[in-house]
Amino acid sequence: MMLAFVILTLFSVLILFLGFAKQRNLIIPVSLLAVILAIGSIYTKQTFWNHYLADMIDTEGYASVISLLILCTGLGLIPFLHLFQKRGNEELGDFLGIFLFALMGGMLMVCSQNYMILFLGIEILSLSMYVLAGADRRKVKSNEASLKYFITGSFTSAVFLFGIALIYATRGSLSYLQVSGHGDVITDLAFIFIFVSFALKIAIVPFHFWAPDVYEGTPTLFTAAMSTVVKVAAFGALFRIIQFNQAILPVWLDWFFAILILATLLLGNIMAMSQRSVKRLLAYSGIVQAGFILFGFIHLTGDTAWVVIYYLLAYTLSSLVCFIIVHFVEEQSGSDDIDSFTGLASSNPTLAILMTLALISLAGGPLTAGFIAKLFVLNQAVVYGFASLVVVAVISTLMSVYYYYKIINAMFSQSADQKWNTPLIYKGILLIFILITISAGVVPGWFTLYFK
Amino acid sequence: MYLAILLILIPLFFSLITFISGKKWAPYIALLSGVTTLFYFLMLMGAYNVKEKYLAFNTCIDWLPVIRGYFHIGLDAAAILPLVLTQLVICLSLLATMVKGNQRSSSFYGLIGLTQAGLNGFFCAQNPVTFFIFFELALLPVYFLVLNNGGPKRKQAVFKFFLYTAFGGLLMLAAILFLQSNMHEELKLQSWSEFYKNKLNIKYQYWLLAAFLIAFAIKSPIFPFHTWQADLYTQSDKPTLMIIAGVLSKMGVFGLVRFDFFFLEALYEWFYYLILICLIGVIYGALIAWRQKDMVRIMAYSSLSHMGLIAAGILTLTNKGVQGGLFSMLAHGLAAAGLFFVSDVIIRRTNDSSIDSSEGIAKVSPRFATYFFIILLSTVGLPLTCGFIGEFYMIWAVAEFRLPLGILAALTLIFGAVYMLRMYQRTMFGVPSPNVMQFEKLNLSEEYVFIIIVVLIVVLGFFPGDWIGLGQYAYQYMNYIPTSK
Repeated sequence: MMLAFVILTLFSVLILFLGFAKQRNLIIPVSLLAVILAIGSIYTKQTFWNHYLADMIDTEGYASVISLLILCTGLGLIPFLHLFQKRGNEELGDFLGIFLFALMGGMLMVCSQNYMILFLGIEILSLSMYVLAGADRRKVKSNEASLKYFITGSFTSAVFLFGIALIYATRGSLSYLQVSGHGDVITDLAFIFIFVSFALKIAIVPFHFWAPDVYEGTPTLFTAAMSTVVKVAAFGALFRIIQFNQAILPVWLDWFFAILILATLLLGNIMAMSQRSVKRLLAYSGIVQAGFILFGFIHLTGDTAWVVIYYLLAYTLSSLVCFIIVHFVEEQSGSDDIDSFTGLASSNPTLAILMTLALISLAGGPLTAGFIAKLFVLNQAVVYGFASLVVVAVISTLMSVYYYYKIINAMFSQSADQKWNTPLIYKGILLIFILITISAGVVPGWFTLYFK
Repeated sequence: MYLAILLILIPLFFSLITFISGKKWAPYIALLSGVTTLFYFLMLMGAYNVKEKYLAFNTCIDWLPVIRGYFHIGLDAAAILPLVLTQLVICLSLLATMVKGNQRSSSFYGLIGLTQAGLNGFFCAQNPVTFFIFFELALLPVYFLVLNNGGPKRKQAVFKFFLYTAFGGLLMLAAILFLQSNMHEELKLQSWSEFYKNKLNIKYQYWLLAAFLIAFAIKSPIFPFHTWQADLYTQSDKPTLMIIAGVLSKMGVFGLVRFDFFFLEALYEWFYYLILICLIGVIYGALIAWRQKDMVRIMAYSSLSHMGLIAAGILTLTNKGVQGGLFSMLAHGLAAAGLFFVSDVIIRRTNDSSIDSSEGIAKVSPRFATYFFIILLSTVGLPLTCGFIGEFYMIWAVAEFRLPLGILAALTLIFGAVYMLRMYQRTMFGVPSPNVMQFEKLNLSEEYVFIIIVVLIVVLGFFPGDWIGLGQYAYQYMNYIPTSK
C-alpha cells in the first residue's frame, strides 16, 4: 500500500519534468502506467515500507477498496485528459502531474488513521483541485471557479482544523486508534466541526452553495474528477472516522444525518429542476446523490459499509460518463446549455445512448447500478426506522426523474442537421463504464461480495 | 427444455440483433422473434398442467440476499391469460407495421422486442422484487417508443405518462421494501405463496395497500388517476398504442390480482368504497366517451371505463370476480388492440380522427366495416363474443357483493353500446364524404391483423370454458385459507 503512494509521488514528479522536457507524447502513457502500477501494488497487497507510519496509515480492508475505486476513476479519466491538449492548452504535463497528486491525496484521506494524515490528504487533494479548477486560464469563469473553490476550501480546512484541535484537547492524541471512554460535550462539538467540514467538501445542503458555480466554471473533464474523486475520498474518510470512533460518536448522529438528507434531497432537487446548464444540473444532481449516499451513513457500522461503497461506485461511473459526454458536446457546440443536447440521438447516436443509460442509472432505473444502490440505501433507512425519510426519498427520486429525463427528451427530440463523431477509443472507454454499470445492476452479487 | 425464463431471453436476444440489423431486415427479424416467442409460449402452455403443479418451469436465483430478493420467474395459472395476450398483441402490432409505407426504423423493432421481454417477465414474476423490476423495465422501452414516433405533442404526453408511472413505481418500491423487511424473518420470500400464507400485521396493511393501489391505479389507469391517458393515447404511434392499450394497461389490474390477497384484512374494511370508486370511474369514462368527437379519445375513455370494471371485479375478492377479471384482461386487450388498429387504418387513409369528418366508410370498404363491427361487439360485451363472458362474471360478482353496485356495474353494457354504436354510426354509415371516397382497400397484412383478432374474438366467445377456468386455480392458490378455520 505504501508502495502505491511512493509510485504515485515519484511518477507525478517525473511527469512534471516530462512536461518541461517537451516529451508530451509520453505524458499520457506514463501517467497511465503510474496508476496501473499503483492499482497493481494495492491489488496484489504489496507490503514494502508498510512499517513506516504503520499506526498512521491503514493498509487493509475498506481503505484499500476505496483507494482502488479512486485509482480506477483516475485510470478511466486520464485518457480523456489527452483531449485537453488539443484545445491549445500546452500545460498537459503540469495538469497530469497535479492530477496524480490529487489521486494520491484522495488515497491518503481514506487510508489515514490519524487526523494529521487526514488533514494532509485533504490539503494535497484540495490544493491540486484548486489548480485544476483554474486549468483553463484564458477563461474568466475558470479563474473565478478556482478562486471560489480556494476560498471555500480554505474555510473548510480551518473548520476541520478547529475540530481536530478540540479532539486533541480532550483525547490528547490525534490517532483514530486511541479511542476510549465515551463522548462528552467537547467531543460532540469537535465532531460537529469535522462533519461540517466534510459536508462542505462533499457539497451537502446547506453547505453546497459553492458547488454549482465551481462545477460550471471548471473545465468539464476536471469537473468530472471533482465530482467523483473528491466525493469518493471525502465519503471514504468520513466513513472511516465514523467506523473507528463508534464509542465516542454523538448520540444524535443519525438525526444529524437525517436532517442533512432531508435538506439535501429537497433543496438539491428543487434547484436542479430549473437549471438550463447541464453542468450546473449535474452539479445539483451530484448534491442530491450525495444526499442518497448519506442514507447509507444512517446507523453505519463496518458491516453495512459496502452499501456506501456500492453507491459510490454506481455514482462515480454514471457521473464520469455524463461529464465526459458533456465535454464532447461542449466542444462541438460551444455551450453546455440543454439546447445543445437537442437532437444528439441523430447527430451522434452512440454518445446519446451512452448518456441515456448513464442518466437512467443516476435516476435509479431498473437493472442499473443506480437502482440497486438506491435499493440498498433505502433498505438501510427502512430497517433502522427512518421510514419517513424513505417517503422523502421517493418524492425526491420522482423530481430527479423529471430533470434527468428532460435531458433524455432533448436528446431524442428533433433530428439534427449534421452528424459528428467521436474517436472510437473514447467511445470504447465510455462503453466499458456503462457495461460495468449494467452488470453491477444485473448481478450485484459479484460486486457486493468484493466490497464485503 | 421448458423454462419460463426463455420467454424473456428469446425476445431480448432477438431485439439486440434487431438493433444492429439494417432497416430492411429489422421488421422480419422482429416478427420472427414475436412468432418464435408465441410458439414457445404455446409449447409451455401445452406442457403446463395446473392440477399437477401450480407453479411450473421456474428459475429461482438468490439475487439480492440483503433484502431477501430472489429473482424468480415461472409460469402459473394467473399469468397464462395475460401472457397469451402479450404474445398475440406484440405479433399483431408488428404485423400492423408491415404495411407498405408504415415501416419504422430498426430501433422501433428492437424496442418492441425489449417491451415484450419486460412484459413477459412482469407476468411471469413470482415474487414482489422480480415483479417490481419488470414493472419498471417494461415501461422504459415504451417511453422511447412513444418518444421516437407519434403525434406532434408526444413529448409532453409521454413525459406526463412517465412521471405518473414513475411515481407509482417508486411508491411501490418503498412499499415492497417495507413488506420485505416486515415479513417474518424465517421466511425466504421466494414466491407469492409465502406472502399469501403469512399475512402482515394489520397496522402496516393499510399503508402498504394504499401505496400498491395508487401504483396500480396509475398504471392501468383507473379513475381518478387517469389524466395522462387520453393525451398519451391520442399522441402515440398507433402500433405502439396497440401494445400500450392492449397489454400495458393490464399490468395495473394484474398487479391487483397478485397483491390484493396479501392485505385481506385491510381490504375487507375498504373494498366497498374501492369498488364504488372503480364503478364511478366506469360511469365517468363512459359518459366522457359519449361526448367525445375524436375517435381515439372515445376508445381511450372506453378503455378507462372497462379497466374500472375489471378492477372492481377483482376487488370483490371472489372466485367469479377474479376469474372474470383475468379473462376480461385477455378479451379487452384483444378488442383494444383491434380498436386502435381500426383507428390507425382510418387515420392513415383520411388523415383525420374526428368522427364527424369522415362518414360512409362502410359503402367504400364493407370488409373493413365488418371487422370493425365484430371488434366493437366484443367491446360492448355481446354474448358469444369474448367480451361477454368476462364482464358477465364480474358484474355477477359485484351484484352478489352488493346489489346496487351490481346494477351500477351492469350499466357499463348499456353505456358501452351507446358510445360505441354512436361512433360506428357516424363513421361507417351515411353518404361517403369526399375524403373517404379514395379509401384504399385493406392490404394483406392489415387483413391478417383483423382476421386474427376477429377469429380469436369469436372462438374465445364460443369456447371460453377452459380459459376462464384457469382463474379458479389462481384464486384457490391466492385465497389461502388455513385448514383450521
